Amino acid sequence: MKQIFVDIDKCTGCLTCTLACAAEHSSSKDIVGAMLEKVQPRISVEAVNGKAVPLMCRHCEEPTCVDACMTGAMQKDKETGIVSNENNDQSCIGCWMCIMACPYGAIQPNEEEGIAIKCDKCNGREVPACVESCHTGALLYVDGKTFTQEKLTKTAKALTEAS
Amino acid sequence: MQYVIIGNSAAGTQAAETIRKYDSAGNIVIISDEPHAAYSRCLLPDYLAGERSEKTILFKSANFYGRNNVATMFGKKAVDIDSENQKVYLGDGHTVSYDKLLIATGSSAFVPPIKGIDESGIFNLRNLDDAVGIKEAAKKARRVVVVGGGFVGLEAAYSLYSLGLEVTVVERLSQIVPGQFDVKAAAILRNDMQAEGIRIITGDGIKEIAGPSLWNRLFNKTGKGVLLDSGERLKCELVVVATGTRANVGLTDKTGIKVNRGIEINEYMETNVPNIYAAGDVAETVDVVSGELGLSPIWPNAIVQGRMAGLNMVGQTRKYSKMIGMQNSVEFRNVPAIAIGLTRTPDDCEEMVIHRPHLNYYRKLILKDDILKGMIFVGDIRRAGVYAALIKKKVPVTKFKQQLLKESFGYSSIIS
Ligand SMILES: Cc1cc2nc3c(=O)[nH]c(=O)nc-3n(C[C@H](O)[C@H](O)[C@H](O)COP(=O)(O)OP(=O)(O)OC[C@H]3O[C@@H](n4cnc5c(N)ncnc54)[C@H](O)[C@@H]3O)c2cc1C
Repeated sequence: MKQIFVDIDKCTGCLTCTLACAAEHSSSKDIVGAMLEKVQPRISVEAVNGKAVPLMCRHCEEPTCVDACMTGAMQKDKETGIVSNENNDQSCIGCWMCIMACPYGAIQPNEEEGIAIKCDKCNGREVPACVESCHTGALLYVDGKTFTQEKLTKTAKALTEAS
Repeated sequence: MQYVIIGNSAAGTQAAETIRKYDSAGNIVIISDEPHAAYSRCLLPDYLAGERSEKTILFKSANFYGRNNVATMFGKKAVDIDSENQKVYLGDGHTVSYDKLLIATGSSAFVPPIKGIDESGIFNLRNLDDAVGIKEAAKKARRVVVVGGGFVGLEAAYSLYSLGLEVTVVERLSQIVPGQFDVKAAAILRNDMQAEGIRIITGDGIKEIAGPSLWNRLFNKTGKGVLLDSGERLKCELVVVATGTRANVGLTDKTGIKVNRGIEINEYMETNVPNIYAAGDVAETVDVVSGELGLSPIWPNAIVQGRMAGLNMVGQTRKYSKMIGMQNSVEFRNVPAIAIGLTRTPDDCEEMVIHRPHLNYYRKLILKDDILKGMIFVGDIRRAGVYAALIKKKVPVTKFKQQLLKESFGYSSIIS
């Protein structure tokens, strides 16, 4: 199963991925349209000690957001492995339980619509828009098992290790 | 192999699904005294407000039982367990044999002994049938008194308010949501609700609920009087009592199962009686923050415990890693709030606080020896899960302590 991986050293903080993400999740599918529609990107780039760090959902093996979801909207697709609260029988109600549960902080509230927003790996797109738009090679879409370059501090590992 | 599950809610259905994943041949039976397919009781306030229907409160797909080949016995109450002969007795006289039994009976509304509280027109909000009853009664009511300013009481209050009723909430303690939030957070939430037009009385108890006077009854009026300890009398047509819950442990009476406030289980979800497991609101587990055995009556924990019970029932031995017993997320009107772990700072702990009540903004972290023990976020709840993970995994925060209260703090701050 392919995963989005981040090579932090290569990220320059250009934010192209966030624009591409918003565009992909807008109805117009372009950046200007996304801005007009005020589409929230599902990937964020944070500045940490002057260093840019992209952050998005990891589509965990045992997602705590799915366990926390009280409507049943948040599900992990058995085939694709995608974790999403969209396009399921149940719908999101914006209770923010998943936000309380995600150790990455990768789920955002959309206060206006009252629903939680997260990466859906562009649901079915061959390569997610963020990865496709990344010119520095900081975002990669590769097989989960073959890529072990993600450098994590001990702390980060401890935080997100499956329990 | 015959797996029997009592309780068709978060823990029960999760256990059934998990069992089926590993055992395609065994029989799975779910017994429930409620006649409905599994629904999320967390959504009952939304049902009450008319925002969700009986269909859209279902948290499993319609074919859940069929797809997982689960036999259902709904509308039947389990009344007794014969742990010697491994049998469950139902209220209708039937018996069901088990090889492995899961007690996932959840909890019930606790009703305090107040004069007049068992009269008609007085409701709890625990089951769908309660919500249906309140909704029906609300049609004929103009004023409602909600007894209890906890989480469920306020949710009920807000739902009834949005139906157009005049709502008064009475809380015995000096703040609302006393079990879930501290004084400062409660004050912000209270102001927000009062601004909407909900009346909130704290520090006053209910002395008596009086039915309609004879005179009123003659004219078919249903009005009630709620008499407070302070002497104030509130008139209303509907009373919702939300004064906490109690674990449904009645079934265990003759089994020798160890019960405190809930059913005591080990980290494999086993009770002290062979082949009987427990999970969810009814079970007592060790809290990761306090290290003590206690109830953790919240949805996510019921789901995880249900799964762990399922795994261990099929022999996929797996240890339950301790969870945080208290985790609450609320948004009554506009102000989201999340509290995780400790909410009041013990003497031997340190706190870090930003308090801007005029902006409906509040952040508090409780630490002991640089380990996070609890947090409250009001107004901005983004990335709360990162803090929950720090609490749960007991990760020392020394290196990034100064950044902890900043809005920019997140997972990224930890990895680099
Ligand atoms: C109004 C409301 C709002 C809530 N909101 C939230 C929220 O926002 N977040 C959160 O984390 N939690 C919330 N909760 C709590 C959450 O709903 C519970 O933690 C969760 O439902 C527990 O699941 P469970 O499977 O352990 O038990 P329950 O959901 O209590 O289900 C137990 C089932 O077993 C049945 N049963 C009991 N005894 C018997 C018997 N002898 N025979 C047959 N059947 C029996 C019961 O009727 C019930 O159907 C809320 C609860 C309420 C009432």
